[in-house]
Amino acid sequence: MDEKQVGVLSCSGEECLGGTIARLATRKVMETLRPDNVVTLCLPLYIAGGDEERDFAKEYPVIAVDACDKCCAKRATIKYSGAVKDSLVLSDILGEDVVLSKIVSARDLKEEHYKMVDKAAEEICKKVDKILAE
Amino acid sequence: MNKEYAVLPCNGLDKCAGCVSKEVAVILSENSESEIICPVLFHTSDARYNKIAQEKPLLVIDGCATRCASKLAAEKNLKIAEKINVTEEAKANHITLGKGLQMGEEEMKLAKIIVDKLTQVQKAADTEDAIAFPASLTYEVYKKDKFVFRLPKEEGFYFSENDVWAYVVGNKARIGVTDFVQKSLSDIMFFTPPAIGNQIEQFEDAGNIESAKAVFEIISPVSGTILAINEKLMEAPELINQNPYEQGWIAEMELSDFESDKELLLTFDGYFEVLKRKVDEFHVKH
Amino acid sequence: MSSIKVIACSGIGKAMGLMAREVVLQVTDKLSPDTTETVCLAHVVTGDEEAAKKVEGCTCITVDGCPAMCAAKSVEHAGGIVKAKYRVIDEMRNHKGVDAGTGTALTEDGWKIVDELAGKISEKAAELTKEGQSNG
Repeated sequence: MDEKQVGVLSCSGEECLGGTIARLATRKVMETLRPDNVVTLCLPLYIAGGDEERDFAKEYPVIAVDACDKCCAKRATIKYSGAVKDSLVLSDILGEDVVLSKIVSARDLKEEHYKMVDKAAEEICKKVDKILAE
Repeated sequence: MNKEYAVLPCNGLDKCAGCVSKEVAVILSENSESEIICPVLFHTSDARYNKIAQEKPLLVIDGCATRCASKLAAEKNLKIAEKINVTEEAKANHITLGKGLQMGEEEMKLAKIIVDKLTQVQKAADTEDAIAFPASLTYEVYKKDKFVFRLPKEEGFYFSENDVWAYVVGNKARIGVTDFVQKSLSDIMFFTPPAIGNQIEQFEDAGNIESAKAVFEIISPVSGTILAINEKLMEAPELINQNPYEQGWIAEMELSDFESDKELLLTFDGYFEVLKRKVDEFHVKH
Repeated sequence: MSSIKVIACSGIGKAMGLMAREVVLQVTDKLSPDTTETVCLAHVVTGDEEAAKKVEGCTCITVDGCPAMCAAKSVEHAGGIVKAKYRVIDEMRNHKGVDAGTGTALTEDGWKIVDELAGKISEKAAELTKEGQSNG
């Protein structure tokens, strides 16, 4: 590999705010904060049989980002590609009440939500940097 | 490939042959993308069927010598691509049609014979003109991030630096785009094909494909005449994303000067290096 | 009759995944909140009991972003009765040349497409609800 690559597999929980935050934080890391080193893996495609996603996760380290303690992203990675390198559960960072609160449309996101995204993105970056430093 | 017709049956209620004409039309519409033109509605108000009649080749099914369907087509200034006369088909196949208007065993048999005849005519045409394309291909892959770029290794494949391939057999070629193109574009939503019969010089436009990201002009790697286009792409351009070398092929051509064209094309080894360079330079991000 | 389950793929990689997600939210939260609900696709496919119960044997509508059809495949695999399958890409084909946005944020045009598709799905849900009521 030319540059070290880290995969981030995030949940997109459609029933809670945490899913939206997880998704946006992961995209922020991929697009802005660590664009050269992070590849996002699409969880629904991963589960439905996406070979590219699964093969990448077998070869490269993966961080699973879950909104709640059901840990769908982490369990899916373990099931289809082996161990996760690291994982993050947003309810540990933002609090369970916040994460499990009602989902908000991207149209209606407020300053407070974007702050949550930043906080989550920062935690993801710490884990990415730790892997890159190995 | 099942041909798609605009089917105009006479649907006559004077004789059983009219019922057979309707049955043939129904079977064709159920087993292919053919669409029925209701002769009664078409006669009184043709607006509904004008588009189908223009877009698909017209198949006229007359029940008997009165040829009502043919006359209706002529009245509407339509060009008839194929004609069937049920009574004549019955005679040729030694089938006696009943006097009533109910479809019996013999009538159903005749309907099936006519449908088979139409299908076999198309299959023969397909076989004659079709390029002998390999049933499956062997690929070399180049990976970048999670993306996999395939390139077929078979002899007969030629590539241009415009990322279009040609598979050449004798004086014919099938063309399409490479994995680099379909991955760069992401989900392809529109396909504008080259016109059948068009004569194209090497490196001239041969249609385009479009996604939400960009429009890609297909630059023909060879000169020749367009013989056929991949009609499945009209409804499902995403086939190009699935596999641009197999189900996602674009067009077939009769070559006019391949010996000269070849000099400006690459084979697998040369193009694979080009592909790798392009992939490394273009970091695919959504 | 239980609510119709409207389930999105929520694909993270493309604008169409975000659009699918927002379409479902619009339908279940604003347009048809009394007759529809969503279920988290990841819960369904990872075997969450509660989620599986909501889907198995129940009338579902799936909304996928792209031709991969992840939601439709996964919901059917989980035993959901998918009565209608929508793909955002098909809606996009009615809006040639439009920039809908990215997987992070949609443009105004992207939101218009979301609203259009949500409207269609809401009508479909109403149709299916009526069907379900008349079938007892």
